[in-house]
Amino acid sequence: MVDPAAPEAVLPALAVLTPAVTAFALPLAHIAGLGRRGVEALALLSSIITGFFSVKLLAAALSDGTPLTYCFGGWPPPLGIFYEVDVTGALLGCLTACLMFLIVLFSVGYMEDDGRLYLYYTLLMVVEAGMLGCFYTGDFFNLFVMIEVTAISSYALVSYLRSDRVAVAASLKYAVYGALATTAYFAATVFAYGSMGTLNMADMHAKIAGIPTPLTGTGFANVGLGLLVFVALALYAFTYKSALFPNHFWLPEAHSSAPTPVSALLSGLVVNVGIYAIVRFTYTVIGGASAVGKYLPIALLATGAASAVIGGLLMNLQRDVKRLIAYSTVMNLGFIALGYGLSTDLGVAAATYHLVTHAVAKAMLFMSAGLAIACVGSRNLSDLEGVGRASPFIGFMIGVSTLTLAGVPPLSVFMSEYALITAMVRAGNYFALAAFLTAYVSGAVAYLKLLYVTCVKPPRKPRTEIRGRGATYSVLTILAVACVALGLLAPLIFRSVFMPAAHTLMNPSQYLKAFLHYASTLTSYSP
Amino acid sequence: MVSVAYVIYVASFITLACTAAVGVYGVLAKRNIIKKIIALTIVGDTANTFAILLGFRVSANVMPPVLPSLNPSKELLTRFAGAAVDPVPQALVITAIVINLAITAFLLFLAVRIYSLYGTLDYGKVIRVRRGELDGEG
Repeated sequence: MVDPAAPEAVLPALAVLTPAVTAFALPLAHIAGLGRRGVEALALLSSIITGFFSVKLLAAALSDGTPLTYCFGGWPPPLGIFYEVDVTGALLGCLTACLMFLIVLFSVGYMEDDGRLYLYYTLLMVVEAGMLGCFYTGDFFNLFVMIEVTAISSYALVSYLRSDRVAVAASLKYAVYGALATTAYFAATVFAYGSMGTLNMADMHAKIAGIPTPLTGTGFANVGLGLLVFVALALYAFTYKSALFPNHFWLPEAHSSAPTPVSALLSGLVVNVGIYAIVRFTYTVIGGASAVGKYLPIALLATGAASAVIGGLLMNLQRDVKRLIAYSTVMNLGFIALGYGLSTDLGVAAATYHLVTHAVAKAMLFMSAGLAIACVGSRNLSDLEGVGRASPFIGFMIGVSTLTLAGVPPLSVFMSEYALITAMVRAGNYFALAAFLTAYVSGAVAYLKLLYVTCVKPPRKPRTEIRGRGATYSVLTILAVACVALGLLAPLIFRSVFMPAAHTLMNPSQYLKAFLHYASTLTSYSP
Repeated sequence: MVSVAYVIYVASFITLACTAAVGVYGVLAKRNIIKKIIALTIVGDTANTFAILLGFRVSANVMPPVLPSLNPSKELLTRFAGAAVDPVPQALVITAIVINLAITAFLLFLAVRIYSLYGTLDYGKVIRVRRGELDGEG
């Protein structure tokens, strides 16, 4: 256990509150007369600090082995909001904060100043706070609030260019059905509270496993039907947020019509929130202890296989380059769901690894494609012919990111896909393997087509000079190095980071223990 | 003997289920964007009422979840715990109401933008216009 008086003990709260406070400060700073550069500097500084906190948090979670905890307002769980960060949560939080810093830096070079840029950075900070809150929270209702914070600001970011007809229509589709999904999630929390008498995730796990806890006891005796409705509604909401089949319909439009840094943010990071929520829900809250828990991984396998195949096939039909990349996100989320559905330590570790490598490579592909689109002024694949030959740096970056995503060794996605295949073979799940390979081949064809069109064909359109070279080019260079490093360091980090993350996720006893440590300070109520 | 209050309690759950179904139908089937938003608020309010009802107690001397004294005696605490409604669903609902307000305001902003960009509030027409433009581009 981390000592509650130690400086590390407040890290979960600091990491979430830093971007949240910045989000409130940015409009005020704008009113106080801070110009474009000042607003950008403030956003960059805040994302650097948040990144620093998240890295410290990951280091603390890895060295300690038990989840880090924080009670908001000093109220012990299950009474107050309880943050509980295990290795998986800390890892995803670290990925989010680090990639978010690069996205803010890219935006500094990429976004045009239209007089309300401070609102753009405000929304970015709100998304970051929401996502980190989702990864760090140990409370089911706080997860709802954080998912809503993330969701509303993502809807707004999609329609940031409010005169863009496509973007506004895409944002409406995303927001209307998204609001329906989050309302379903709210109903799910009500069902959960009604059947279990608690909303703390560790406490819910104890209720389902039949372990009595202080204050809430064993919950209500018969939770069968309430639990079933709860699982159905929550899964619907999570699959919507993570764009898994059959709730993937909003993603290609929303992700492709947003401004480029926002596309990178949505495809690389925001969808992870839904996946993480499913996994936390499947392995911690339900925990395989009940009859429902046994069927959840099967549902994950089915929806993952469908998303992977549909995403992989539809990638080949796209004429719009950003839509092609968006469908590849659907495919990769299917891969991740397949890995998590295996419910073995290796499968879960490989899925988390793939989540990280995909996030980095996908953000890079969206950014480099965005620069290419800015060069020729069109998103059509046919107009982008030879753009990579006209400007070699962009061509090189598109090349690195497509080859990474197509799974070329020794780049990062190859390593994570290799780990996924190994996990599927070891688990003897040939259904998952067949779906994976079908999607993989289909996706590779689309990636190579993208690479061929942009980098091999002779240039067709005259190119325009792109702005903000320093920031955008350095972000792409960092991401390219990360793609190579995450692949080359695979044997090292897989053993020291991803396997412990999977192990803590699959064994919720530590998670429960950290909760009980605080809950036992409360005396049980007896009428 | 089943009390009248109990019958009303159960009947309200059935009513809520029907209202939620109407709301979900409205979001999925109505083509007018404003009607979609109205249906969405119906679903949200149904979920809120459901939460409040779940925390309610069907008994003769039900109390609000506020302690009437700062230094309660043991008997008062026992009576309070036996009669007060559950405050947790009310806390959840007040959060959900605030969030629903934000979403509704944002959706209405989008509806205004859609009307000024497409000249219609019919979602089906918006999709048809978009599809026509895509074919034109190709």
